[in-house]
Amino acid sequence: MAMDGLNHFLGAIAEIGFSAQIIVVFWATLLGITVGMIPGLTATLGVALVTTLTFTMEQNTAILVLICVYIGAIYGGGRTAILLNIPGTPANAASALEGFPLARKGRAGEAMAVATTGSFLGSVVGMVGLALVAPWLAEFALDFTSFEFFWLAVFGIVLCGQLTAMDDALKGWIAGFFGLLVAMVGQESIHAYARFSYGIRDLEGGFGLLPVLVGAFGCTEVFIVMRQEATRAVAGKVTGVFRSALSSFSHARTWLRSGFIGTFMGVVPGVGEDMGAWVSYAAAKRASKRKEEYGQGSTEGLLAAETGNNAAVPGALIPVLTLAIPGSAPAAVLLAAMIIHGLRPGPLIMITQADFFYSVVAMVFWASCAMLILGLLLTRPLLLILKVRREWLMGIIFVLCTVGAFAIAGRIFDVWVMIGFGLIGFLMREAGFPVAPMILGVVLGPILDNNLRRSLALTQGDPIPFVTRPISALIATLVFLIIIFSLPPVRRRLATLRTRFAGGER
Amino acid sequence: MRTINRTDFLSGLVVAALGAAGLVEALRMPRFEARGADPFTVPGLTPGLLSAVLCVLGIVLLLRGMSGRNLTEGAQPSITQWTRASAIRTLFTIVMVLVYGTLLFGRMPFFYATALFVFVFTVGAELIDTERRLPAWKLLIGGCLLAGGAAYAIDFVFTDLFLVRLPG
Repeated sequence: MAMDGLNHFLGAIAEIGFSAQIIVVFWATLLGITVGMIPGLTATLGVALVTTLTFTMEQNTAILVLICVYIGAIYGGGRTAILLNIPGTPANAASALEGFPLARKGRAGEAMAVATTGSFLGSVVGMVGLALVAPWLAEFALDFTSFEFFWLAVFGIVLCGQLTAMDDALKGWIAGFFGLLVAMVGQESIHAYARFSYGIRDLEGGFGLLPVLVGAFGCTEVFIVMRQEATRAVAGKVTGVFRSALSSFSHARTWLRSGFIGTFMGVVPGVGEDMGAWVSYAAAKRASKRKEEYGQGSTEGLLAAETGNNAAVPGALIPVLTLAIPGSAPAAVLLAAMIIHGLRPGPLIMITQADFFYSVVAMVFWASCAMLILGLLLTRPLLLILKVRREWLMGIIFVLCTVGAFAIAGRIFDVWVMIGFGLIGFLMREAGFPVAPMILGVVLGPILDNNLRRSLALTQGDPIPFVTRPISALIATLVFLIIIFSLPPVRRRLATLRTRFAGGER
Repeated sequence: MRTINRTDFLSGLVVAALGAAGLVEALRMPRFEARGADPFTVPGLTPGLLSAVLCVLGIVLLLRGMSGRNLTEGAQPSITQWTRASAIRTLFTIVMVLVYGTLLFGRMPFFYATALFVFVFTVGAELIDTERRLPAWKLLIGGCLLAGGAAYAIDFVFTDLFLVRLPG
């Protein structure tokens, strides 16, 4: 079985490597890096906008383009974090903590090299995770019934809400449940009744995922970037790129640990690269012998953050491919793109589309290689992107958001939806609500709705099987524990206990 | 003395009201009894449950806001922190976005609507920037070139290369 998988994988590597698709790999990764480098353009927005461009492409080429853009964007954001002290994408926030102080010390070249190798190593570790875990998870998920899928949707919202809202799980959960409620608008699948539509024809079709996504991540970013103060790149010398790139490989413990953490955070529904970077960074800091360097320009911390966020990319593809549940916001767009292109991700993927699965693994591999090569060779030319003023860029970005939202179905209504969710996303972010759980809610809404009603119909309204079936019970317990451990009194109590134990140890 | 956390209080109020409205609407949804539909598959079931949860969460946030408990520094919302320049830029962006999305796009040929929007947005954003160094004539010429170039390029890429039909 494993040999069979390896053969499929090597076949897919050769198929991309020895065809014109390799050119696609390079231009799409470069496009992704450029998108990621521009402050305010997130990986989600990049993947969403490029999805529009892939409509006429062949299935595999379209997904290849999107994966390359996704990986490139997460990597590209690191450049901005290092040189401007603002993350190009939210996933690079942890990188700014170490990268910017390094750039100010005149070690920008070194920092960019470390970020490049870290991102490459993270993608490779994540790719191995994808190749090993996804087939196993898909087989395991074959036993899932509507009860388990219901709990999986609840689990996704509760965990994503808790992790993305930092210290304020309540706001994360509100965002998640709001997203679920948004998904209820339009015709439901059992009785074909149009909910919350009030006879408005456009509402009967519900809100399209891509217009909502482009609005919440793209249009919102235009508002946020224009609201913030302008930034300027630090003029750092770009030297020692290759030497620093090679030296990063020697920190095997850091990148392996961060790679594992990043992959795991990617797998968790809706959490993705941001948390992959933060948790990897925190773990590296805890384990480091040179803790005092953190915050002052630690190459080890930068390596951990960049490895963690890029490892989360293949990690986020695991639930997309095996459960049709996105591991991150860009992965949600990728899932929508796969469906648009006639692919059917889900537990049956290893049975019905095993070739496609291994192609995706090979795509991650080639995108990572292209990122490494482009990142190291184009260190200087890529810096020019950071000189573009936001005033000259944001208008065009908004036009692209508009066209992206419109092009999917050719409806002006989708443009209004995009702007509406742009304003909602802006208000939410300003008031401290994370946007990612809302998007996850929009994706998971139909799954939750259909599986809840199907399960209740099967049991004639008896809710007991929701907590007595083994896998259901396990997921339900996890949901319960996440809620309990997020409650402020419980957290305060745990913090007190931790302090007491730490004091006792001394 | 504790003061109300206004952001949390108002957010909680909006969320609770939204949840309550959703719940009322869900209860009003048909149950298809005449068709002999299974009562556990009625359309209002899931929206009703979700709205109820949202309402409860909103009330909790509202109460937390009233208690005036402050969050940690990193989680402080930025909605209450505005400078004059930042407020002007945001207002300008929102107005421009609404004008393009609701008035220009779809009512005018795409090329003209986009060129007009990009020109006004770029020049307007530069003019309200107090730290602008570019002289006005350079700004106007640059804005014209950017607007024409961007509108043509986007039109060409989407219409001719990717066969997307744009309005107008």
